[in-house]
Amino acid sequence: MTTAQLDKMRLELRRGVLVLAVLASLKQPHYGYSLRKQLQDGGIDIDEGTLYPLIRRLAEQGLLDSEWQQGEGRERRYYQLSELGTQLLSQLTDEWQQLNNSLSNLLGTASQETK
Amino acid sequence: MELVKRYIAAVQRELPEAKRDEIGRELNANIMDQLDMLSEQRGELADTDIAAVLKQMGHPRTVAQQFVPPQPLISLHYMPVYQYTLLMVLGILFVLQVVGSTSAWLAGDFGLLLYIKSVASGFIKDGCFAFTAITITFALMSADTAKAITSQNDNWQPQHLPAAGHSWQHISLQDIFTDLATYAFLLVVIWYPLWQSPEELAQRSITLAEPVRQFLLWCSPLLLAGIALNITQLKLRLWSRRMQCFNVLLNSALVIILLYLAANGPLLQINAQNWPGVFALEQLQGAMIWGLVITACFPAYEVLRDSRRLWLSRH
Repeated sequence: MTTAQLDKMRLELRRGVLVLAVLASLKQPHYGYSLRKQLQDGGIDIDEGTLYPLIRRLAEQGLLDSEWQQGEGRERRYYQLSELGTQLLSQLTDEWQQLNNSLSNLLGTASQETK
Repeated sequence: MELVKRYIAAVQRELPEAKRDEIGRELNANIMDQLDMLSEQRGELADTDIAAVLKQMGHPRTVAQQFVPPQPLISLHYMPVYQYTLLMVLGILFVLQVVGSTSAWLAGDFGLLLYIKSVASGFIKDGCFAFTAITITFALMSADTAKAITSQNDNWQPQHLPAAGHSWQHISLQDIFTDLATYAFLLVVIWYPLWQSPEELAQRSITLAEPVRQFLLWCSPLLLAGIALNITQLKLRLWSRRMQCFNVLLNSALVIILLYLAANGPLLQINAQNWPGVFALEQLQGAMIWGLVITACFPAYEVLRDSRRLWLSRH
């Protein structure tokens, strides 16, 4: 497999998971840059070009509340999970757990077969 | 900070009017946070540092597209119906153009090259208009909603699908309209002299020989049968055994007619008064005979092709 193919598949794999990671991180209010730092510290590296539009889309869907606030001499837009977003995060978390268990079983079986 | 302003202005230029201020304001806040963090690490930032951060953010157009992804002119829901409509309308326009140009050709007594030009230019003119009108209609429908198509796609039943068959069973619209245009062309050529006055006919420099024209008039039902077959194909879009048998018979008859005409001349008669005399009549007769033999190869090929398919799918 070429590096380009691997990059493409990795991107597809991460795309759905990023929404879950962003929603989970926004239980606490964050502005764009602080959210990116939080995700990076949690081991999820995401570039600005993906993160900022993603937050806006989630806010437009009503999953996030947002508010402009003054901080450190400059305005920032803070985002936090809305009520709808909290419900969705709970459902997505359950879904993720089930998927993760199933995948772990499958990947475990696959790795045993290859040995 | 001039670079940041220029960058944000460039992004805003690529955004819809309604979203420019909000996205620009947010992008500015995010970039300033990033620059603050960098200046904490490196001290005062030079323009080259700011430029490096902006470069990393991406080209303004790319960033704008990430915030507001471009929408396709025609929604994916409508794409199959759009393509089908386009092919259908262009096919019908082609047939109408062939009929119109053939009538003008027979009435106007102009050359073959001008006839081909008339078909091509007329089709391109009408086709461009139809293409634009259909595309605008579907673009407007796409801007609205794809509900109608979705509900239509929900109401299907597996039992209503045609039986699985060979890949060649699907009949392309292109094939149907090519045949339809050919039959329409031949019918106009055969029947047009009946609508012309004796004076108009007398002015023509070259016409079909009278026995040939009489013979072709008797062949008209065969061409009408071909048109009926094309219309059935347009409705069903799949070859059935019965349809293939009919096509074999039809094309066999066409081969026989074409070869009979090639073998039994003279095919043409000239009006000596109007004849420009560029070619001798014998030369034209010879060219017509070869033309008919070559033309007969096409239905002959279809006879062989369909016979083989019938043989292979006999069980």
